[in-house]
Order: sequence, then C-alpha cells, then structure tokens
Amino acid sequence: MGKWIRWWGLGAFVVVVAIVGGVWIFFVDGWVKSLIEEAGTEAVGGKVELDAADLSLFPAGLTLTRLQVTDPKEPMTNAVEIAQVAMGLDGLNLLRRKFIIEEMVVEGVRLSTPRSTSGATRKVPAQEKELGMFSIDLPSLEVPDVKKILEQEDLETIRLIETLKADIKGEKETWESRLKDLPGKSQLAKYKERVKNLKNVKKGGLEGVLGGVGEVQSLKQDIEQEIESLKGAKKELEDKVTLLRTRLDQIKTAPQRDIQHLKAKYNLSPQGLANMSQTLLGGEIGSWVRQGAEWYERVKPFLEGVQAPGGREEGPEVQQPLRGKGVDVHFKEAHRLPDFLIRNTKVSVNLKLGDLAGTVYNITTDQPTLGKPTTFKFSGDQLKGVKSVSLEGALNHVVPAESKDEMTVQAKGYELTNLVLSKDAKWPVALTSGLGDMKLNAELKGQALTAHGGAQLSGLHLSAGQEGDANPLTKALSSAVRDIAQLAFQADVKGTLEHHDVTVSSDLDRILQSAAGKMVNELAAKFGAELQSAISAKIAEPMKQLKANMAGFDGIAGDLTERVTQHNEVLKSLLEKSLPTKDLKLPGGLKLPF
Amino acid sequence: MIKLFAKLLRVLNSETDPGQISLGLCFSMIAGLTPLLSLHNLVVLLLVCILRVNFAAFLLGLGVFTGIAYVLDPLFHLLGLAVLTIPALEGLWTFLYQSVWWRLEYFNNSIVMGSLVFSVGLFIPILLLSNLLIRRYRQHVLAWVQKTKIMQMFKASKLYATYQTLSAWRDA
Repeated sequence: MGKWIRWWGLGAFVVVVAIVGGVWIFFVDGWVKSLIEEAGTEAVGGKVELDAADLSLFPAGLTLTRLQVTDPKEPMTNAVEIAQVAMGLDGLNLLRRKFIIEEMVVEGVRLSTPRSTSGATRKVPAQEKELGMFSIDLPSLEVPDVKKILEQEDLETIRLIETLKADIKGEKETWESRLKDLPGKSQLAKYKERVKNLKNVKKGGLEGVLGGVGEVQSLKQDIEQEIESLKGAKKELEDKVTLLRTRLDQIKTAPQRDIQHLKAKYNLSPQGLANMSQTLLGGEIGSWVRQGAEWYERVKPFLEGVQAPGGREEGPEVQQPLRGKGVDVHFKEAHRLPDFLIRNTKVSVNLKLGDLAGTVYNITTDQPTLGKPTTFKFSGDQLKGVKSVSLEGALNHVVPAESKDEMTVQAKGYELTNLVLSKDAKWPVALTSGLGDMKLNAELKGQALTAHGGAQLSGLHLSAGQEGDANPLTKALSSAVRDIAQLAFQADVKGTLEHHDVTVSSDLDRILQSAAGKMVNELAAKFGAELQSAISAKIAEPMKQLKANMAGFDGIAGDLTERVTQHNEVLKSLLEKSLPTKDLKLPGGLKLPF
Repeated sequence: MIKLFAKLLRVLNSETDPGQISLGLCFSMIAGLTPLLSLHNLVVLLLVCILRVNFAAFLLGLGVFTGIAYVLDPLFHLLGLAVLTIPALEGLWTFLYQSVWWRLEYFNNSIVMGSLVFSVGLFIPILLLSNLLIRRYRQHVLAWVQKTKIMQMFKASKLYATYQTLSAWRDA
C-alpha cells in the first residue's frame, strides 16, 4: 500500500487547488466585468461600460458599479446610466449553469446622460434631420385671377367639347358617304321603269299574265329589301345621334366638376381645417412610436429568441452551440427553470422631473419555461412639473406564437410649457403653458399594434400667428386659438411596428372650422361663381357650334325618311294600281299569291 | 524539445517502476484528451498527487495528449453524441442531469462525454500496453542502444550533456 500512496501528495493537491482558487478569486471580478461589457455591447450596438464588478461567494452575489449603456444613435450620450446594481445569486443553480436572481436592486437610473468619450462601436448611420420649418396646408384667402386660371388650366369641359366636336364631324362624314351607297333616286327610277314594263306584259293573255306574276313577285321583294335597308340605316343613325346627344348633355354638367377641382387646387376649400390636430401632432406622435418601436426591437430577441432548451416531454433536445465546442444535450428537469431569471427587480429612476420607483417581475430570456410573463410597474408622485405619473405593463411571450405586450402610461397634472405645435412660417403656434391629464394604452398582439391615447388639457395659454399679420384667415385662426382655454385630444395608432397609421383628433378642429370655415366658404362661393361665369362664356361658342353640328344629322335623317317613303309609294303603286289581279280568273279556281 | 526528449529518455531509463510511468501516462491521457477545466480532471489531479505516479510522465503525456485532442475532437463529438442519445441510457442521463455536481461536470456536452468515454475506455489497455513496452524497452532496446555507435556519439553530444545536467539536479 505504502508503495503506491504518497500522503504528502494530498497536501500538494490542496496547495495547487488553493493557488488556482486564489487566482480565480483574484481575477474573477475583472472577468465578470469584461463579460458583461462584451455581451452588453454586442446586444445594444453601442459601448456598454462598467466601472467595477464585485462577485462575492458567501453569500453568492454580484454588485455592479456605474453601468453606462451608450445610445447607439448618439455615441456621446448614454441611453441609460445606472449608479449601482446589486443582486443576490442562487449559488446552487449557478453551479447548474443557471443565473437565477431572487431580488435585484437597481439604484440611480438616469437617462440620456452625456459621455466623456464616444461609445460608438460601428459607424452611426446619418439620421434624417428634422425640418426646421414645415408648411401647414392652410386654406388660401386670395381669390386667384379666373382669367389666368382658364388660360393655364386644362378644363375637362373644353376637352369634352373638342372630343365631341371631332366625333360629330367623323360621324357626319361617315353618314354622308354611306348615303351614297344606300338606295336613292336612280334606284327608284329603275324600279318605276320595271313597274311600267310589267303593265305592258300583262296584256299578253294568260301566258303573259303568268309570266308577269313571277316578275311582280321578284320586283316586290327587291323593293321591300331596299326599304328594310333604308329603315335599318335610319335606326342606326338615330342611335348614334342619341348617343351624341347624351354626351352633349354630359358636357353641360362638366363646368361644375371643373369648378370643384379648381377650388381644391387653389386651396379654397375649408377641408384643410378639418383635421388640423393631425397636422400639428400626427408627425410628433409618429416619431414617438418609431422611437418606442426601435427600443422594443432591441429587447424582443431576449424575450423570445433565447429560450433554454429544457429536455422536452418527447425526449432529450440537442442544442447547437459554437463550432468546436461540441453540442449540449439537454434532458428533462424535475424543476425546470430558465437559464436566466431575475424574479424581482426594484428600480429607482432619477429623472429631471424627480424620482420614479418601480418593480419589474420575472425578467427572463425564457418565458415558456418559466410560464410567467415579465411585468412592470413604475410610479412617481409630486414630481417637478407633474403631479403623478405611472407606467405599468406586461410583456407576455409565454406562448411565443401568441405573444401579447401591453403598456399603460398615465400622467396627471402634467405642466406643459413652451411646446411648439406649428413651425409654419405663416402661422406659428405654440403652447405657452397649460396642464394636462394624459392616458395611453398600447398593445402589441403578435405583429398587430394598437394604441389609444387621450389627453385633457386645461388652463391653456396659446400663442399663434405673427404680429401685423394681414391675412384675414390666419388672423381669425390665431384669434380662435388664443381664446382656447381647454382642449381634448385623442390619438390612435394602428398597424405594425414598422408600418402604422397615426390618427389624431381634437376639439381644435371644430374650433378652427367654426372660426374660419364660414370665411373660407364665402370666398369659395365667390370664386366658384366667377369660375362658372367665365367657363360659361368660354364654352358658349363651342357649344353653339356643337348644337349646329348636331342639327346636321336632321338633314341626313330626313333624307333617309324621304327615300323610305318614295320606295313605299313605288311598292304601293306596283301592288294596287299596276296589276288588275282582282278581275283575273285562273283555271281551276287558282289564286295569285299576292 | 530537446529537454522534453531528454526527460522522456530519463524517465524510461530510470529505475522508476514501469507501472508508475504507465499510470502517469494514462492519467495524462484522461486529462489531456478531455477539456482541461472539467470537474473530473480535479479528481485526476488528486489521484496523480496521492498515488505514486510518475509526474514527469504525467506532464509529458498531458502535453502530447492535449495536442492529439484537437485532432480527435470531431471523433469525440460523434462518440459523445451517440452515447448521450442512446435511448436505453436516457433514464440514467436524466437522473444525472438533476444533480448539481454532474451538471458542473458538464457531462451532457458531446465532446466532454465522448473524450471521457474514449480515454476511460482506453485506460486499462494503454496501461497494460505501455507497461509491457517499457519493460521490453529496458530489457532489449536500452541494452542494445547503449552499445551502438550512435549512442556513443549521442553521449558525446550536447543533448546528453543536458541529460546529465538534469540528472545532477535530481540527485542534488
């Protein structure tokens, strides 16, 4: 036994293990620090820096000091800066490679703090600069020169007249040509001649009479065919003329359409005032939604993308890790837990307007395993510039295919100061002061985003317009806006995070409409009357010509009628006067077939 | 490299029990072929310390087998995955998976399992084989080599001088 055992080796082993353990303890804080910085930087897309990390083993815990998370879009600004994060670790689960934290305290959270050095890790794409000034589509109060408009504009009425004129001309030419081909006077003369010849033949006895009967039958059919041809042509002409007359009638209503179009084009319609709230606030709200969506997209992969494989009911699950590291085979656990979980996080946020306190429950990368959603609730009272504010919501990805994230934000007694509503050069509008109670509910169900916000603003002082403004419309609008003491706003967002529509409505629309709507309507009526008069004068002559051209079809129709009549007369004379068939006795009591 | 070769020769030519050398090599095979920072290697280190295992053979073998492990990793992965997914063993693995210590051992990783099965499986055969080879070497080869001209030249070389220096250090 003694040959194979060296007891001093046990001491050597303890010394070696102690040295390795000592080195690990000495370097572990730096290792944890760099691990957090590297993983955070990779996830955020901007530098994540930590002043210090302190890992304690008994009891297991981790304290992080001054965590800075760069705003990737503004590398000289920290999106978030946290003074201290302290957490107690579940040591036993840590040995099982599970990062389970029962409680975490996050103190001194500040937003948008300046950085001393750039936190850029990649080239920041150029941001679309906000336009300094924009133009509100206000109704115009200057009646444009109608004469000039009619010279420049392509009027539908004129276009219709020109087209109809060309079509009438074409039809007339077609019919004049066609009349030459239809049975006319020469044809009629030939028929008369044939009838005359028949009268001579019948005098030749029974044989002559029988021969004449065949000739009469043939002549009768020829004349009737000509009459049918003439009647068909006449009917066709009448149809064409009816169609042309309908188009002529339509031209009579075209000036009204031209007037409506020109009124809208030259901004003499009160519709511009109908949704001024949308114009003033729609863009701003859309920008907030986009910012929120960007941050949500960064968090989303952690909510549903890093699910720990946990040995499912159907058998072990193979997870593919990095190349060269083999694969981990996971088996069913008796008490399943996510690989990362913070059950309770207490957060204190230091904003410019005061401190907010809140709690976040169940922060995890694997909600399906935990079976609970991440929920959060923040609130603050008696803050600087706001009486109370609260934010609560849930990020539910327990069933990833049926994810539902919801959030409610409420602010009471929010002091509004120097808020620029319109940067329009002609009509600037600003909210000097006021108080607002606001509530916003937002929900993202799968890809479908719906948000509804409402605000009651009171004690408002608004400034609008410029000094010495001579425009009666903006003067009226400014006066109406300055008189507003309270307003109610409603905003709705629908669509997806990438593509959404923002609709905003408020009392402002009604107020502006009643203030300036009448004025705009009167001007629009005046402009319309002038246009009506000018267009009528402009189309009077072309319309007269059209009617005259249309009258030309009456001559063609009369000609056709006359030809039909004349052919009928020839036929009549053939049947009734020319042949004495009434007195003709045929052998065997036979009768003539006419 | 020269020192390493000298060490090998010294170990083989010494009076050390061939079993101690073989055991050192076999332990180094486990530690070298499996990922070094594994829990089982702590046990290997403990055994190397308390058993009369030749340290030089262990350290020499550790370097050699660590190099071989890089080449054999794909084989270990396939072997480990096959072992971990044998339906008959699923109950055993699931049972071990509940244990903190076994999780710390990282047994559910294909390369850890594959290399461990491979090295433990070859432990006894390699132990017996190396034992036999060392004995044969000492009986036949060493005696013959000592008499060859090459060995005579070698003894006059710098390499042999290094060997002598090492011997002197050990004896000191």
